[in-house]
Amino acid sequence: MKFKRIKDILVIASIKSVPDLKRQPLILLLLGLVSSLPLFFIIVYGADISHGLVGAMISTVSFIGLTAAIQDVAYDRFLKMREMMVAMPVHPLSYALGVALAPLILATPGLIFFGTISLWIGALTLPSLFWASAVLVLCWATMSSIGFLISTYLQKAPPYVLGNIANVLGLLLSFIPPVYYPEEILGTFSWISTIFPTSNATSLIRVYTGSLNLPFETIVIRWSVLIIAAVFFAALAAAKARWREP
Amino acid sequence: MIKAVETNEIVKVYRGKQEIQALKGVSLSIDNGSLFTLLGQNGAGKTTFLRIISTQLLPTKGEAFVLGLNVDTQEEEIRQHITVVPQDVATYGNFTPWEYCYYFTLLRGLSKHEAEETSKKALRSLGLWDQRNRTCATLSGGERKRAVISSALASDAEVLMLDEPTSGLDALARREVWSILRGLVKRGKTILLTTHIMEEAEMISDKVAVMHKGMIIAEGTPERIKHLSKDRFRVAVEGSLNDLGMNEDDSNTVKLGNKFLIYYKDEDEALELVAKALKRGMRAEIAPVTLEDAFVKLVGGDGD
Repeated sequence: MKFKRIKDILVIASIKSVPDLKRQPLILLLLGLVSSLPLFFIIVYGADISHGLVGAMISTVSFIGLTAAIQDVAYDRFLKMREMMVAMPVHPLSYALGVALAPLILATPGLIFFGTISLWIGALTLPSLFWASAVLVLCWATMSSIGFLISTYLQKAPPYVLGNIANVLGLLLSFIPPVYYPEEILGTFSWISTIFPTSNATSLIRVYTGSLNLPFETIVIRWSVLIIAAVFFAALAAAKARWREP
Repeated sequence: MIKAVETNEIVKVYRGKQEIQALKGVSLSIDNGSLFTLLGQNGAGKTTFLRIISTQLLPTKGEAFVLGLNVDTQEEEIRQHITVVPQDVATYGNFTPWEYCYYFTLLRGLSKHEAEETSKKALRSLGLWDQRNRTCATLSGGERKRAVISSALASDAEVLMLDEPTSGLDALARREVWSILRGLVKRGKTILLTTHIMEEAEMISDKVAVMHKGMIIAEGTPERIKHLSKDRFRVAVEGSLNDLGMNEDDSNTVKLGNKFLIYYKDEDEALELVAKALKRGMRAEIAPVTLEDAFVKLVGGDGD
């Protein structure tokens, strides 16, 4: 049974990604391009590119996590594909994880690209890459769970409305908090970056790349917030999600 | 013997700004290896009923069983044995019919090899083999619908629940689907179909239940349903009935533009009217009553 659930996650992730990869490979470029745009300005204005690269990776996973969870679920509901899925021997968690995993597959080339450049210019080291990957996974899990929660609460909203909400929220969480700019700019308000999963994740990666110095206790708090947010939103999404209608 | 589907006084109330009682105590029993059709107007409660027994929706009251399994408590077991094609299902534009069949059968737990084999059979049987690698965005509406139906056929489930599966299909495609569904019943599958196409219900069903305003108002073979209407024959006449010395407002007469349908219990009376009309140079024909005639009589012709 457990093997079937894992297989279902992969099949659903394939349903949501393989046809796109086959028929519109430009989507790979598009996913990376959105996150790369701020890099252009960072380079032009002579700021630290390593910071922009971390921001690009964080915004990629957060944007795709959020938008896929909202848009794909809404789209499936609209097409009535969800009704077919519900009546299949597919566990709701397999469906959710498959939907969340698919954009990560599509974003992988972009993430590898940003990671490689970061390693090449010395913004990341191999040991810090491990920590950065862990932070990215937690950030993706949190944002996907928030996305599932939104799509659960706004079940009756048309897909285009949900699509707009996903895009606006994704952009706000990538560009308003200190993701593409250092939290030090906020001065005494730098703690704000802890509140947002995107900026909290960015700061933690910067700690491991050596571009941000934080006391050990603060690092522990930042990790705790990131982990608790991921677990909390995942648990809330699982509790509120309705596979079967009452 | 365990029934494919059995329900006992199913009630469904949708609560919202306005409370709607979609089902008002529906009790049905569907034999294994048969094709059962739920016939009703739009809004009669067919889809709600189908969604409850396909474990998508919880009933407000009553009990429902699929293959002896309770839909309230054993939904996961039920899902191993059923497949559903929802009403007005749409397709992913970038998906091919092959991908529909293959991925959806994988989700049912079939191995890659089995999924390939059943997908091939399903696509061939629905005449989609040549279009198997074309994206749904480039297919016609009927072909897209068949792509979804083929994924249900490939599933090899014991009970197929199809909500108006042939709406939007042309006559030939509809007949192809009918033929496949009858073939599946021959192989021991149970099919529960909802439709408002009377011809479909009459042509392929072993049993029919007429649903009206959330209630079953008649149940039986199509022949039995037809006999529930006391009339046996229908005469269609073009022209004025007054010329034939008849009352156009009679309760057994239906006016359709310049055409009248007059219902008779007795064949001789019906033939007499046809002869009379033909003598006056009017067009007239006699036919046995159809399921549609019986349906209209049963639901009383009130569209609300």
